[in-house]
Amino acid sequence: MNEPARFHWAVWLGSIAALLVLLLPVVIVVLAGLTAGEYLTFPPQGLSLKWVIAFLQSATFLPAYLFSLVLATITMVIACIIGTMAAVYLTRTRFWGAKLMRGIFMTPIILPGLVLGLALYVFYVMTDLGLARSFAGLLIGHVLVTTPFVLATVSAALVGFDRSLEEAARSLGAGPLQAFRLVTLRIIAPAISAGAIFAFIISFGQFDLSLYLGTPNLTNLPYAMYISLRYKFEPTAAAAGIFAIALVVASMLLTARLVNLGKLVANTRLRW
Amino acid sequence: MNRLAQDMAEPDPARALGGALSASRAPGPAFLAGRNRLWWLAVPLAIFFVFFFVIPVLVLLANAFDKPAAGSVAPAGDFVLTNFQRFLRLPQYYNSALLTIYVSFISSIIAAILGYPLAYLIAKTEHPAWNTFLMILVLASMQLDGVIRLYGMMVLLGDNGLINGTLIRWNYLSEPLPLMYNIFGVVVGTVQITLPFMVLSLIGVIRNIHPSFQEAARSLGASPWWAFRSITLPLTMPGLLAGTLLVFALASSSYVVAALMGGWKVWVLPVQIFERISNSGQWQFGAALATILLVINVAAVFIYQAASSRMTGGRT
Repeated sequence: MNEPARFHWAVWLGSIAALLVLLLPVVIVVLAGLTAGEYLTFPPQGLSLKWVIAFLQSATFLPAYLFSLVLATITMVIACIIGTMAAVYLTRTRFWGAKLMRGIFMTPIILPGLVLGLALYVFYVMTDLGLARSFAGLLIGHVLVTTPFVLATVSAALVGFDRSLEEAARSLGAGPLQAFRLVTLRIIAPAISAGAIFAFIISFGQFDLSLYLGTPNLTNLPYAMYISLRYKFEPTAAAAGIFAIALVVASMLLTARLVNLGKLVANTRLRW
Repeated sequence: MNRLAQDMAEPDPARALGGALSASRAPGPAFLAGRNRLWWLAVPLAIFFVFFFVIPVLVLLANAFDKPAAGSVAPAGDFVLTNFQRFLRLPQYYNSALLTIYVSFISSIIAAILGYPLAYLIAKTEHPAWNTFLMILVLASMQLDGVIRLYGMMVLLGDNGLINGTLIRWNYLSEPLPLMYNIFGVVVGTVQITLPFMVLSLIGVIRNIHPSFQEAARSLGASPWWAFRSITLPLTMPGLLAGTLLVFALASSSYVVAALMGGWKVWVLPVQIFERISNSGQWQFGAALATILLVINVAAVFIYQAASSRMTGGRT
């Protein structure tokens, strides 16, 4: 083998190793949820839908899955609205403090979720507004950790936006709000949708906040799985995982249709 | 804290370096009849953040300097260093911090070695459908809830798991290998969870290297390895550093990986914080440990900044 070919093979082998690390656990969850046996063995004992049916009748995992869906949907709507509004202001202002504001808005991405949950819990107990261990309290935490992603995605689209298009609309007689609605909003709509999907999925899989903000009747899917994993490997949990995996894959396919993924990653400025 | 987090989460460090420039670029014409009227757009998010982010985090920091009082949640407003003295006095706590640094450091190095080839492959894949397919694999595995992925890893690595169970059944082993409930397991779990972030930090920088650099090296007779080592690798160093820092930050703050893969035997700081507060009601000491966790992350960011500014000759 000559050297370019060897280099090529080295890249491929390394990539396959990385993909194996990324995907093997996911494949195992799918197999564990579809196994015909009581638990997953190698070689598998055959496929069946009995654990999927058990999940659909489960009194813990199905409600947790539905709770995650509801929480993620509400989180997505709020994060999307306030995140997009702030992104429009921050990309168009000359205000000296805008950079600092943006910095603060992005911080929840790197702040440990455990620390944020703890801080919120202490604050809720201290202020005694009835937010501790409430749905609203958990929702606030989820909005905090998802809004930065909306802000980053929408800002990326607004920074690359050619503002002469909006001016053209204005010179043709459109009012400022009309020009924004008819031109700018339509052009950045895919980025807003992508931000919304990110917010949804991040909220759906959010675990750390639940340690302090979750309760037995505010249990989302990650928290329910964590509680069950502490004691045993329930195939029902893996079946629930299959539905979560399907949701993530579907949302990524949708995002790929809406925006160019390569550009999204390159332009998404998760920055301060 | 400004630049640090920016560069940390910046998937494209070349852009991170130019970040200061682009942020201060000349603003375009006024929007909505004068830019001064736009401020109300940021008001909802600003109020939300002040109330539910800035104040709670400050309260937590205040808590860390409070006199320890078991069971009392809200800060009393003292300023004492008792909690931090206790941290420095008792080996179980400062060892927790050292273990956190150790596990996070090892994980970020492994993630860098493992993530680089995949990022290189994705960056060099021109075919749009293949590129999108690989990107979806990485992004989907990043976005899938970590607890689900940990389930898969625990089924794989457990004492009765796929690896040990199969090897014992086929008589290759008589005792299960200790693949989980130890530091090894926590590192494997951390690498799995953080690998997508490393790959995404690298794709942009690798793609940004102009192909003519490598072509020039190749046409002058350099082997692909030599071209990689002397051109690609140095030019992608900023991305590699940014990814390593991001992985370090994520690794050091994850509770669930250490709790499940470590089986409450690997006492990293997040596990210690949760244990102190939830089982012992030591809110002030827990807040102090949380502060120390933040300090470790901020220190990592400073080291990163020093390294990256040395590398770019202070151009950042």
